[in-house]
Amino acid sequence: MRPRPPAMRTKRRYILARLLPYRAQVDQRQLYFSVIEAATSLLGDAAAGLAQPAVVFCEGGYVVVRCRRGTEKDVAVALATVTSVADERIALRTVATSGTIHALRRRMKPIRHLAGDEEVKVGETYFAVYRYPRQKVDLVEKGIKHQKSLFFTEADLEER
Amino acid sequence: MKITDAGIHPYPAGDSTVARMALEAAGLGFDSAVAIGDAVCRSSGVEVLRGAVIGAASVKEVLKRVRDPAVRRADVVYVDAGEIAFNRAVVSIKEVNVVRSIHATRRNAFDHVAARTAAEQGVAVDISMAPIVHLRGTKRQRALQRYADVLSLQRRYGFPLTISSDARSILGQRSVREIRGLCSLFGMTGAEVTEALSSVGRIIEPHRPVRVVE
Repeated sequence: MRPRPPAMRTKRRYILARLLPYRAQVDQRQLYFSVIEAATSLLGDAAAGLAQPAVVFCEGGYVVVRCRRGTEKDVAVALATVTSVADERIALRTVATSGTIHALRRRMKPIRHLAGDEEVKVGETYFAVYRYPRQKVDLVEKGIKHQKSLFFTEADLEER
Repeated sequence: MKITDAGIHPYPAGDSTVARMALEAAGLGFDSAVAIGDAVCRSSGVEVLRGAVIGAASVKEVLKRVRDPAVRRADVVYVDAGEIAFNRAVVSIKEVNVVRSIHATRRNAFDHVAARTAAEQGVAVDISMAPIVHLRGTKRQRALQRYADVLSLQRRYGFPLTISSDARSILGQRSVREIRGLCSLFGMTGAEVTEALSSVGRIIEPHRPVRVVE
């Protein structure tokens, strides 16, 4: 089948969003379902159908969402209402919108996980410590599933 | 003009400490934030103000609670909205700065009489982003209707509005740009959002005539 000539193709826009928490490992398919659910719930079937939101890829703590040109603002608002993916609490922070994925890749700054993982006890629970730049510290409850997360800073951890 | 998140709930009420939430707020484009509770933040580029919430069933209880040392220490005093008579009375209390949880009240609970009094007294009405972000279906539709109603009253009577993320975690905080998009859902313009985000500063330090001190 011959592809459509460029002038007849649908114009697209790509939205780059950062995934929070930093260590979150989400499945692209599950994330797509969450984005579609959020867009349909907020904009309705008709508007969400016209916007055609889709998750292009999800890597290195960033997500690229594709939509039709002219609907990027609506889709960005819908992304702000995504709160979980497959029972895991997340947040999507919109970083930039562009007409090409190439331009968005330039905006993707790798999130460095600083070395020095250890264990800390908060109350009666043991947490694994994950350190990030700007003195950010994420604490994840030790366990197999449904672990509780706490978001501290280095100073908070030292004060304990 | 300081862009302020008018309500965050840090650890232990939430899962993020006030310092971490302040750090996130700075990254999201805020100059200050109001932390509900006794949490104090000494560092970071964001000014953290102290907020106190009064959840009371009667005006008498509110009048009693505003005299609490914890409430008197607070920079911003919030009262949870209730029935129509309660809201009308609460906006005339001098110590009260903001009426919140307006989305959870019944329709017309905040009416034109309360709006006029709020404008005269300089009492603000808080618009929380949490119901728009976290609720789905009819509950979110109802919250959007309530906010649209409050906005129409605000345009008529000119009482201040504040905007809060009501976040209990850094995952619940939203950027200024995202807040602008979420507020456009109920018809708020960009200029109105900027005005509402900067109104906490005006509530804390209202314009008063110059006094000559000898």
